[in-house]
Amino acid sequence: METTTTSVTSAKELWNGGDSPFRVSYGKIMIWYFLISDTFSFAGLLISYGAIRSSQPKHDALNPHSWPDPNEVFNAGPGFHHAPLVFVTFMTFTLIVSSVTMVRAVQEGHYMNRAGVMKWLGWTILGGLTFVLSQAWEWTHLIHEGMNPMSNPFGASAFGALFFLITGFHGFHVSVGVCMNTWALIATRKRVFEKRGHYEMIEKLGLYWHFVDLVWVYVFLAFYLF
Amino acid sequence: MSTLTKEESKKRVWRVCAILGIVTICEIAAALIHYKFFEESPRMVLNLLFIVLSALKAYYIMSEFMHLKYELKPMTISILAPFMFLIWGIIAFLWEGHYWLSAREFWDVLR
Repeated sequence: METTTTSVTSAKELWNGGDSPFRVSYGKIMIWYFLISDTFSFAGLLISYGAIRSSQPKHDALNPHSWPDPNEVFNAGPGFHHAPLVFVTFMTFTLIVSSVTMVRAVQEGHYMNRAGVMKWLGWTILGGLTFVLSQAWEWTHLIHEGMNPMSNPFGASAFGALFFLITGFHGFHVSVGVCMNTWALIATRKRVFEKRGHYEMIEKLGLYWHFVDLVWVYVFLAFYLF
Repeated sequence: MSTLTKEESKKRVWRVCAILGIVTICEIAAALIHYKFFEESPRMVLNLLFIVLSALKAYYIMSEFMHLKYELKPMTISILAPFMFLIWGIIAFLWEGHYWLSAREFWDVLR
């Protein structure tokens, strides 16, 4: 009898208590649960985008109320015009690269390399800032063109409302991420995590940052590609 | 992660970065080729391509960057399973949107 009990509990039985079944810390599982709920917020917005879009006439150059062609709406960047999707490609790349630099920061954290964490976190913040500023430029440009939540010179007015709502919600997430990463950079500099003995906070911020990148894949798909 | 050396995990990250970059370039190229040369042709195939490529990007971001590939299976399942609801959400609401369009067109004709 005794032998069976010991063999069961000592083996890979993760669900018998005394062990974390997911082998993940409390903080990490909680950031994951937050990200799941945030996914549903974004999914709600993007699904309503889909519902409203499919309730509008498809793109038709002759119908001023039809859905606009993204190649005609997003065709400018700072200092250039008539270049469809070029600026948004730059923005997408900025976000992808900043995601990679974030992974590097997390990896350096695993090796307790404070200088490495600071270096890569710095690049991540720079990438995030570049993205937010690019988005600010794009918003300003589109507002000058006459697009706002109430009207849209390129076609269906719902396009303007949904564009500002959804890219605004995403941009807000990026801005929050930049602020939190800046705080983490300062804390790393002050050796807060070094004294704590681990850089798990960088890992959690990394999960949030990759989530923001993941959402951009779908915002990009909905507004710029479809 | 634990089974990989530092150099291996570094290399893997930059490889995933290259994959994401190349996939994005493919998407943009497909969009621009359609816009320049096949403006009038239906977008069915193009949109399907975009969905597949975006899902590929999402897979790489979640599995490698968010480290989900290296977590225990119950953890991965409990994170991914709730997203099954979204499949229903997308189908139901796009269907509803099409209905609004046809209802509006129907009443416009009568008017």
